[in-house]
Amino acid sequence: MKSAEGKRKELIIDVRHINKIFPGPIPALVDFSARVDRGEVLVVIGPSGSGKSTFLRCLNGLEEIDSGTIIVDSIPLDDDEKHRLEIRREVGMVFQSFNLFPHMNVADNIGLAQRLVRKKNRKDALVTTMDLLHKVGMAEKANAYPAELSGGQQQRVAIARALAMNPRVMLFDEATSALDPEMIGEVLEVMMNLAREGMTMVVVTHEMGFAREVSDRIIFMEHGRIIEQGETENFFLAPEQERTRRFLDQIL
Amino acid sequence: MIRTRRSSVQLDAALLTLLFGAIGFIGYRVTVGLHYNWNWAVIPQYIFRYDEESGRWVANYLLQGLLTTIRLSLWSGMLALLFGLFMALARTGRSLFWRMVSRSYVELMRNLPPLVLIFIFYFFLADQLALLLGIDDLVRNSGERLQSVIGLLFCKPEQLSAFLAAVVTLAVFEGAYITEIIRAGIQGVERQQWEASHALGLTRLHALRYIILPQAMRQVLPPLAGQFISLIKDSAIVSIISIQELSYQGTQLMASTYLTIEVWVTIALMYLLLTFPASMGVGWLEKKFARGRA
Repeated sequence: MKSAEGKRKELIIDVRHINKIFPGPIPALVDFSARVDRGEVLVVIGPSGSGKSTFLRCLNGLEEIDSGTIIVDSIPLDDDEKHRLEIRREVGMVFQSFNLFPHMNVADNIGLAQRLVRKKNRKDALVTTMDLLHKVGMAEKANAYPAELSGGQQQRVAIARALAMNPRVMLFDEATSALDPEMIGEVLEVMMNLAREGMTMVVVTHEMGFAREVSDRIIFMEHGRIIEQGETENFFLAPEQERTRRFLDQIL
Repeated sequence: MIRTRRSSVQLDAALLTLLFGAIGFIGYRVTVGLHYNWNWAVIPQYIFRYDEESGRWVANYLLQGLLTTIRLSLWSGMLALLFGLFMALARTGRSLFWRMVSRSYVELMRNLPPLVLIFIFYFFLADQLALLLGIDDLVRNSGERLQSVIGLLFCKPEQLSAFLAAVVTLAVFEGAYITEIIRAGIQGVERQQWEASHALGLTRLHALRYIILPQAMRQVLPPLAGQFISLIKDSAIVSIISIQELSYQGTQLMASTYLTIEVWVTIALMYLLLTFPASMGVGWLEKKFARGRA
């Protein structure tokens, strides 16, 4: 987060002029460009249906773009299946609905991809798994199944699962929107700790307090277009666009 | 809720009275009107017979038939599961060609009478393919030990090619239904499970193997078990190509003893012996997984 200043900037996500067109239930993106440097926390806000999640899901190829280029960690996201897999291995994603694997316990949820994708043996994978579970405060639930956990606990496990791949970038797609209010704090805390450790993050959220505290830069979008973007403090203190001001007035 | 229950008791009583009346009437007609010479006493000897030579009790026609039905069902069940799994994967895969292959297979099998399939497969597979592969020669020239292994696992060695044709026919036929069951299971797994797997960088094959199929199979285990019961019942149809399974033995025994009712009631009980426990098992599975999902 805000300690990256002084270091030389290193571009890690480079999105240029991407378009995603209707039809379909997915909000469109129109000539959308964005850049994220290493160690930076970018928060994307906007009304629902504005294309925030679509943007996020394009970054690891869960949605296909119709035109434009996406480069992640110097790898172009194109039709090459190998590139897509490579990028997905470097990019962790946390979903609104957790999406843990219900037929596996917590430890296996976190261990599986380490073994299959990172080719770790069972023992090494378990060491990493337990480290991460300690980090998100879920160590004593290693043998529990997802259905036995609260929403907040599931989401913390999901974060640990994404971190287990040792990703360069973490994407958070409304990670707290499906949670009961009393559980939002525990998940935001884990995310804040990650940001403090210097993780590069792209976060779609409705939690403005969190956004303000943790982010370096904000993008405000609507109807698939960037309306305004800027450094966090300036963005909240002196938004330039009328539309941004109205949005902030509504939700702050 | 309670009130509707109480009022239905009277209806139940009326229905039961009617049912027992009907059973009584049929029983009366059978004992008085049928002029049928009952002879249950001879049935047991068609299940077991005493072998004078070896001095042991051995299986006779009916039990042999039951054993053949069991072998037939187990082999074709396993093969049908393989076909079904493969075709379901083809059906849900990304290749248009394989999707069409699978679709055609399912539609063809489901829209043909199994009897017709049996004849086609029997005359093609047992006659031509077996000849081509030299199964009959292979069996004839094999040693005694191999022959006895074949007898234990499949059937009498000289009937092997017909038996294999029957296994393959049943498997191909039931495989179409199993394809549909497993396809529904795979498509029933939430899309987000695919996304979570992709997001972790799992290949499609890994996602299928570790994430999607385990969840799909859990969902489809009860209908699969039900389909296996169907297979046991459907296996009677291969009696038409002289596979000596339970129903075939029944027709033979009926022709030679004229004990129509005794023979078929015995055979019905033997089928129930196979299918009823399986049916109970399905119920148990359904309850178990219903609880797991909650």
